[in-house]
Amino acid sequence: MSRPVVSFPHMGNYAHVLAPLADLIDADVLVAPPITRRTLEIGARHSPEFACIPFKYNLGNFVEALDAGANVLIQAGGGCRFGYYGEVQEAILRDLGYDCGFIQLSTGLKATQIVRFIRRYNPRIRKSTVEHTIRLTWAKLRLLDEVEDIVRKQVGFEVADGEHDRLLSAFIQELSTAQSVETVDRLAADARSELAAIPLDKPENPLRIGVVGELYVLMEPFANMSVERYLAKRGVEVHRFCTITAILDHAIEGRKNIERMLETTAPYLESHIGADGTESVYIAMRLIEEGFDGVLHLKPFG
Amino acid sequence: MTQAITVGLPRSLFYHKHEVLWTTLVESLGNRAVVSPPTNRTILAMGCHAAVDETCLSVKVHLGHVAWLEGKCDGVLVPRYVSTARKERECVKMWGLADIVRNALPDVKLLSYSVDAAGISHRPTWQTGELYRFARRLGASRVRAARAVLAANVAQARSDGARRRAQERLLARPADKPRILVVGHAYNLFDELVGVPIVDALEAQGCDILLSEHVPVRRANRLALRVSPRLYWTNNLRLLGAVQLLRQRVDGIVFLVTFPCGPDSLVTDLATRVLDDVPSMTLVIDEQVAEGGVRTRIESFVDIVQMRRERS
Repeated sequence: MSRPVVSFPHMGNYAHVLAPLADLIDADVLVAPPITRRTLEIGARHSPEFACIPFKYNLGNFVEALDAGANVLIQAGGGCRFGYYGEVQEAILRDLGYDCGFIQLSTGLKATQIVRFIRRYNPRIRKSTVEHTIRLTWAKLRLLDEVEDIVRKQVGFEVADGEHDRLLSAFIQELSTAQSVETVDRLAADARSELAAIPLDKPENPLRIGVVGELYVLMEPFANMSVERYLAKRGVEVHRFCTITAILDHAIEGRKNIERMLETTAPYLESHIGADGTESVYIAMRLIEEGFDGVLHLKPFG
Repeated sequence: MTQAITVGLPRSLFYHKHEVLWTTLVESLGNRAVVSPPTNRTILAMGCHAAVDETCLSVKVHLGHVAWLEGKCDGVLVPRYVSTARKERECVKMWGLADIVRNALPDVKLLSYSVDAAGISHRPTWQTGELYRFARRLGASRVRAARAVLAANVAQARSDGARRRAQERLLARPADKPRILVVGHAYNLFDELVGVPIVDALEAQGCDILLSEHVPVRRANRLALRVSPRLYWTNNLRLLGAVQLLRQRVDGIVFLVTFPCGPDSLVTDLATRVLDDVPSMTLVIDEQVAEGGVRTRIESFVDIVQMRRERS
């Protein structure tokens, strides 16, 4: 059998960092074509009528990736309906006539569980290779989230148009090819100092807006019509708290994190309401306390 | 013994699964249960008024019932269901139900308990334990609370068993009329405004009706997991299982969905993909559905089913 070519749905810039994980299961990787209007149209055409919008985007990514040559798809899971996306998407793609592998990530977050999961696909892999790759990806994810956070806060005030975007795309390029944690650390130091050196025309007390809500429409600019950039261009310092690293941190922490948030949200929420709901309320309340000028809540319909 | 109180039971959502359980529990504790009337246009309007626009019809109906009970009881029972088994989940709207009601109708006093067998939001709790603690909170002694919970569980199991056996008997009879399986959540199937008119219309067209709610749960779940191993919603396991269990013994399947149900939006799609040659129809109901349109669709669906029966 030919070597598998894996692909997975887009969300923000994460594909660049996550793609090398394909090595773990001894596969080539095909980054799905960037999301366009066409992606959404394909996704919507084949999705259940009122499935929530991330489902349709993911399905569009899958179809475009398969058409571009992928033969194994990977879907994650969790949250409220996301955990069930994969099974329905696989059935839809089969009915459309695609003959592809479909890997549903269903592992826990413990190291032994991850190794066991990977060995199902790549039995001979060494534990140290798995650990190295995961540690490297983790470092990259953290750094990408950190850099994008800084960009969100200062891009609205750049003196020369496009300076942040140039820096960001060069940075992502380098990050995606970094092979060691040391390289990532060096990139981190460089990125921080370069970002700090960009000339800004920032008032003493700029408008600050926090975005909260459902993770996909928060993190995929195409799905929210680049609302973060829209705000920034109007002179707003944009704060977002939902990133993949934040989600993973919370997942590892589990119930403790939820119980802590509920102490704050008690006037509105006495109990955990699932998915991103509790966190959105918690962060909104914190932002009000911290004197933010506005909170923007994004969510998909359905 | 503390003073007897009146417990309000909204005739919506979990009531349609726990009617006997709750009324038996409340009454054997020496309290009074007041149940809101079957859903009508006024109750729905009250619910829509209290709800945010984009929530599902079933939650709107629920809010209407809670609003109706305001001032007619000492507290309205709105429990919270996160998970009833370790590997199963309820829809997140059920996780948040007590909070939704509390925020939408701040003047209503709520009585609640929280079932989360998977321990996602707090230490694991099961329904029987939660009912016992609920009874204790109402002031019952240990013995009385335990007896009441036991009696309530037995009574509910009896009632479920009777309904299941009635459906078995129907299936055992010679199929002289077309048989239609109506698949939907109990709170939709048994709602006077949502499911009952559809079941009535199908019966008026000369069909025998089977309901997804009246199938044996364990067998249904097992069959559902065979076609959909990752399915985790308790209700949808039953729905998909009912389809698998009965699809070869019925002439047609009607999926009854309230708009915009998240779990159903995905699971109904999957269910129609595993049906090979059974005619099926999905009816999506919202607060603006016109009865005439639904009736026409039901009539033409029954026509198709009849024609296939005559041909074979």
